Amino acid sequence: MFDRILIANRGEIALRVIRTAREMGIETVAVCSDWDQKALHTRMAHVAVPLGGNLPSESYLRVDKILDAAKKTGAQAIHPGYGFLSENANFARAVREAGLVWIGPPPEAIEAMGDKIKSRRRMKEAGVPVVPGLVDPVDDAAAAKVAAKPIGYPIALKAAAGGGGKGIRIVREESAMDSAFRTASGEAKASFGDGRIYLERYLDRPRHIEVQLLFDHQGNGVHYGVRECSIQRRHQKLLEECPSVVIDDKTREAMGEVALKAGRAVGYQNAGTVEFLWSNGEFFFLEMNTRLQVEHPVTEMVTGVDLVREQIRVASGEALGYGQERVRWNGWAIEIRINAEDPRNKFLPSIGTIHNLRMPGGPFLRLDLGMYRGMEVGPNYDPMLGKLIVWGATREEAIARCSRALQELNVGGVRTSCPAALAVLQDKRFQQGDFDTHFLESMDLSSTSPEHDGVVAVAAAIARHHQQRRTALKTSAADRNGWVARSRAQVQAPLVRTSMPGGGA
Amino acid sequence: MKYYISVDGRAHEVEVVERLGELVVSLDGKPFDARYLEVDDLGQVVILHEGKSFGLSIEGDANQKFVTLAGHVRDVKIEDEREKAAHAAERAKNKGGGSVTAVMPGVVVEVLVQKGSVVEKGSPLLVLSAMKMQNEITSLVEGVVSDVHVTAGQAVAGGAKLVTIKVPEGS
Repeated sequence: MFDRILIANRGEIALRVIRTAREMGIETVAVCSDWDQKALHTRMAHVAVPLGGNLPSESYLRVDKILDAAKKTGAQAIHPGYGFLSENANFARAVREAGLVWIGPPPEAIEAMGDKIKSRRRMKEAGVPVVPGLVDPVDDAAAAKVAAKPIGYPIALKAAAGGGGKGIRIVREESAMDSAFRTASGEAKASFGDGRIYLERYLDRPRHIEVQLLFDHQGNGVHYGVRECSIQRRHQKLLEECPSVVIDDKTREAMGEVALKAGRAVGYQNAGTVEFLWSNGEFFFLEMNTRLQVEHPVTEMVTGVDLVREQIRVASGEALGYGQERVRWNGWAIEIRINAEDPRNKFLPSIGTIHNLRMPGGPFLRLDLGMYRGMEVGPNYDPMLGKLIVWGATREEAIARCSRALQELNVGGVRTSCPAALAVLQDKRFQQGDFDTHFLESMDLSSTSPEHDGVVAVAAAIARHHQQRRTALKTSAADRNGWVARSRAQVQAPLVRTSMPGGGA
Repeated sequence: MKYYISVDGRAHEVEVVERLGELVVSLDGKPFDARYLEVDDLGQVVILHEGKSFGLSIEGDANQKFVTLAGHVRDVKIEDEREKAAHAAERAKNKGGGSVTAVMPGVVVEVLVQKGSVVEKGSPLLVLSAMKMQNEITSLVEGVVSDVHVTAGQAVAGGAKLVTIKVPEGS
């Protein structure tokens, strides 16, 4: 087992890995940008190495700096977290060439699954069902219109080299193709340097169901069941569950088998997730995420398995040590992503300084947070501040607990996605399990119930009243600049001394 | 002092009068019994009203506040009498037109209109990239572009004017 590992990431996922490593008796090395010098992961690791800069390209994406930090601190392995370099095969290769252990899949497997088009061809060959309508990528809107005809609308436009919801657009009719193609291709070019887009049929009432996998280096693999991730907008997930109301035990085993087949086809090792689109009892391979995922805690809550521990264990060469029959599922878990974004304003990112942080507590609740009071949320990084995860014996219990926890939570200083998540949990259709991947986009989040309007209006008025009074009282003090204050201090100093018996000189 | 308050677009009037150091409050013309207690100096307050207590969080400036109650955030706009009159006059002048501003800092990727372009409600004006996402900024009104304040490649601050749209006379 390792003595010391480096975590090439920031925010809640860096903390997540640090926590498990500490529990395993492994020392941790954090890396940080200038912006993150005060961040939680920097503080909680045994050692922190500054990378400099504020942009990801100057810090968390700098392979040379990260490898240098690992060498200097004597780290034996690197955990990439998710995002940043986690799905970069060249980084994985560079880590191995530097004589370090890569806590992740082989670079060849990352490559095989990294290109969505190639991966689907490969999966099709391996006998894994894929979404209908796959064609070669196109590079202009006119070609896209021609290609769309045989597939039929609605059409999904996706960046050939995409991920993370960037460069994805849904086109419901031909007239919308120009505008959608322009933004999708532009985004793809900006994010991945590749503006090619491919098209596929958009499935009817689809649900996003994914299977968590883990393979050791001895060729053993297990699946940890499914996660339901249909509550999303623009392919950014907001709320995830484990398991799913539409997946019974038989389907779960069938999907698990197919997912394991997909992993084996590319010689997979370590943790990975196979994403499926599920529609009317059928499921199709979407893509494989060759890393730990944001929503892995819901699987952990229901299976009792620490996935990061398993990742570190198998990366160090240990065998899995158990088979599929040992994996058990107990109860229900729900995760809410706390993103700094405004659900009232198309979920646009919200920036500011976090203050007034009130955390929920109570039974069966887990908080994986990167945020802290005083943290500046800037435009350079992903807007995710952390995650709230609950467990319940049943789905109903988990929903009630999650709503309760969100009502306790208060993040001041930025807008968050939490009110939207709460609206989902309180929606009858969601509670009955009747939803698909369009559910969140179809919700009206522009308003709240008028109940308690009176209290809110009065509170706001009194708050303003007090604010104004305070400002009025403060004015004279605020007007004093340094020179005036100093001269006043000089003038007043002797007076203060003489008038205060026993004080001063 | 009388305040005109909109809670998620629903209008209310609140009068706050200080009498012998106590606040006397009325809501929409009726007396409203309320005790207002500040928990900290960060915006956490408690309102005691008719034997119930409400824990709220209040953020924002004098005119625009976000009030969180049991996990739901309400957009609250506040105007006193003088501000109400001034804002009404401004709205009448612009007829719903005016400047489209950046809601957050970002980089202009592409400008899709020019001075004199006729736009409809929902017409794309420009593409703004922020936090790795590209967003099409659309017009909220029908009118004519009277000014474009930015060019492609330009970095803009939150609140920066992007495009000004004039609503034609008589519409």
